[in-house]
Amino acid sequence: MSAEASNPAATPTPCEDSQGDGRWMSQHVRFVSESKDREPDVLFVGDSLVQLMHQFGIWRQLFSPLHCLNFGIGGDATQHVLWRLSNGELDNISPKVVVLWVGTNNHGHTAEQVAGGIMANVQIIHNKLPHAHTLVLGVLPRGRMPNPLRERNAKVNKLVQDALSSLSHASFFNVDPGFVLSDGSISHQDMYDYLHLTAHGYQAVCEPLHAQIKSLLEKPAEN
Amino acid sequence: MMSGDELNPAAVPQPVEDLHGDGRWLSQHTRFVQECKDGEPEVLFVGDSMVQLMQQYEVWREIFSPLHALNFGLAGDTTCNVLWRLQNGELENIRPKVVVLWVGTNNHEHTAEQVAGGIVAIAQLLTNRLPKAKIVVLGLLPRGERPNPLREKNAAVNRLLCSWLPRLGQALFLDVSSEFVHSDGAIGSQDMFDYLHLTSTGYRTLAKPLSDLLLQILEETPEERRASLV
Ligand SMILES: [Ca+2]
Repeated sequence: MSAEASNPAATPTPCEDSQGDGRWMSQHVRFVSESKDREPDVLFVGDSLVQLMHQFGIWRQLFSPLHCLNFGIGGDATQHVLWRLSNGELDNISPKVVVLWVGTNNHGHTAEQVAGGIMANVQIIHNKLPHAHTLVLGVLPRGRMPNPLRERNAKVNKLVQDALSSLSHASFFNVDPGFVLSDGSISHQDMYDYLHLTAHGYQAVCEPLHAQIKSLLEKPAEN
Repeated sequence: MMSGDELNPAAVPQPVEDLHGDGRWLSQHTRFVQECKDGEPEVLFVGDSMVQLMQQYEVWREIFSPLHALNFGLAGDTTCNVLWRLQNGELENIRPKVVVLWVGTNNHEHTAEQVAGGIVAIAQLLTNRLPKAKIVVLGLLPRGERPNPLREKNAAVNRLLCSWLPRLGQALFLDVSSEFVHSDGAIGSQDMFDYLHLTSTGYRTLAKPLSDLLLQILEETPEERRASLV
């Protein structure tokens, strides 16, 4: 699509190694290598919210038993994940479910661009894994008090939800259990830095997510 | 202590600019200042994400929380940012016996000499503000899966700290950086999930020598402890 070609959020882009320790590429290479050794039923891909989930007990408790791989990289925006998925991370596996959680790091992009970037990821997953179901997790609110990024993320969710409704191979899943309290604040008990989740926050996100993944795994494969 | 500190850009207090527009950095600083009013910590941890993430793992609740520790770690912080926070309320109302300082790996614009000078400037400020406290400075860890210039820089920072910190009298240096590099030069994702931040296994490697040192400092005789109260 010509519209997507001009959308930076939907243009596959490797992360520039601005710090000089090559960590981003090391992680991508490791993911490609991991995908050759394993036969995951579920693939998680995205940014730090995916990556950090792997570090908490809830991952071993709920997701390891489902044969999940975790390809999360801190700081990734939609265009970075798109590059990774276009460059080997999907080439050796055939998961039944792909959980995609990315978008909150797309700084400088409009809600429309971010949503387009997420949909470009959904598209490449469908191209590479035509039998997989993609579960797109809604981006979470962020910042202790109301701010423009919360509004943008909410708009991204609405746009993505609308775009996904006509697709049978993908669906939207809202994992926000109500992190914004009645006074408009987000608690550091849920998000320790008002962006990343605590163990407590992950529990609220992961329990319904686990149930949703299980029900998708029990369905016959889509064609 | 070091002449020319005022010319060191890594020793200039600086708040983080709210580039993303959600105010998270200042929200966290404000919360830390508030926690100073509510808590009476024996141990204060201050620094960047290496400090902050520690609080999210079991090792914190198990080993450090029972020592009455506060955690003022803020991801992405440089020596400049920590210096600013400490000068703007994060030392008000508290009198910890030990401060654990771990910062410097995010000082991308500064040389090893500048980073070490920035860390020493923070240790100096802590010593001035808390004359009875011991300062435990943690050595910077190697980073990147393979050998790279940032590893060399962090090692150079550690060598400088090793020679400069003893002059402060109250500062101790704990360096576990050698534990993370395998014989082939690689760092494993079992220790650092992104070749920078520690896994729970990685934190275990640090927790033992650090908690031994903290307990040793905290277990002064009661006489010494009473004498140290201002
Ligand atoms: Ca659908």
